[in-house]
Amino acid sequence: MYYYIVNPAAGRGQIKNLQEKLRDRLSELGIRGEWAKTTGPGEAAKMATAAEAKGHTTIVAVGGDDTVNEVINGLTGEATAVGIIPLGSANHLARQLGITSWQQACEVLAARRLTDYGLIAAGQKFFLSTLTLGFETDLDKTVDTEARGLGARVNQLRQGWGHARTFQTLRCRIQVDETYNLECDLFSLSITNQKFQNALAENKLIVSLSDRPGQRQLGSYLWQLMRRGESPLSEEPSTRFLADKVLIETEPVTGIMVDGKVAGRTPIAIRLTQRQVRFITEKVAGDLLEAVGPRERGRSEAKERPE
Amino acid sequence: MARRDDVLGVAGAETVIGAGVVVEGDLHGDGDMIIDGTFTGDIKTTGDVTIGVNGTIKANIEAANVTVGGSLDGHITASGEASIGESGRVRGNVTSAGLAIAPGGIFVGSSRLRQAARLDLGDEEA
Repeated sequence: MYYYIVNPAAGRGQIKNLQEKLRDRLSELGIRGEWAKTTGPGEAAKMATAAEAKGHTTIVAVGGDDTVNEVINGLTGEATAVGIIPLGSANHLARQLGITSWQQACEVLAARRLTDYGLIAAGQKFFLSTLTLGFETDLDKTVDTEARGLGARVNQLRQGWGHARTFQTLRCRIQVDETYNLECDLFSLSITNQKFQNALAENKLIVSLSDRPGQRQLGSYLWQLMRRGESPLSEEPSTRFLADKVLIETEPVTGIMVDGKVAGRTPIAIRLTQRQVRFITEKVAGDLLEAVGPRERGRSEAKERPE
Repeated sequence: MARRDDVLGVAGAETVIGAGVVVEGDLHGDGDMIIDGTFTGDIKTTGDVTIGVNGTIKANIEAANVTVGGSLDGHITASGEASIGESGRVRGNVTSAGLAIAPGGIFVGSSRLRQAARLDLGDEEA
């Protein structure tokens, strides 16, 4: 039985105009289910816990990244499938799962293709997608990155440029898997789950960091960040490595952001947990294995096999 | 500031340590590694290791193929090829299936080439 947790404030209240169309479409697909609306921050997590306890096997977050993260943090078991209908402002998580519109999300929910993703713990909170710190975290405090329109974009770029030129790099020390330590002057850092970039890969933290880009690179960096709302670090890091656990210290202390929201400060321990969340996604590892052929399938299956 | 002679071609490498980054400890993995910073410790992988022109390494390296463009103080054990580029400097012993030193490259140490495995057909051939 599908259980829909709706954040009426997400995406500046988009659900108000879409609710009827959404319910009709889900009915047509035979997955209408039960609906509940949140009334404030933290509610989605409590609703997810209660729905799971009642025996709902599929919980759908109708909203943005905040709503999805709250639902994830509310689940206690691993058998419940989580779906997304993206109606937030950013929808990073939905995009990474291959879901770009509410209409497509309905089809994806009906197709019910499942992929397990490992949860990442940052301090006491769990998250699925991306943690950032450094320039991008600081940028969000000074520039309104949510405003849309050409004028707003130009203004964002201008403010971002001014901010980047005065931004002081952080002295950063990272302990990686208790096997090695890394020190650098940090401009920006991001941590994500490798499996989000490649469904065939195992769950593993990818840590990407960069020192201060050159003037020409800075413009391109800012443009990508403003346009996509995502860290361009995944494509052009100066340093990148895989890990299960990292402990990050910075001088001075700085804030960290998880999926676009401030979520703590350094020093912070980030680790890939044993907990998995079952997501209803557009593409699953099985489909990709079929596409690449038996050799890659064998290699991927060998990786998954326990030693 | 990013350096113009930073190592290129990071795509595909599992681990990339950029110039200006200092690492200490054991770096073990399964994929390719590109190290252009300062490293002290031990490096072991089933993939390839490339030391960039800015790389300053004090470590023993065990890998498939090893390419040195910077400075290495330590031994290399490669199941495949070891190569020292024109700006490369190696002080240590090399055990590999092959060794190439470009003009300008410096190697202080001993080299031992692994013999290729021989097919032993034995009595079956008769």
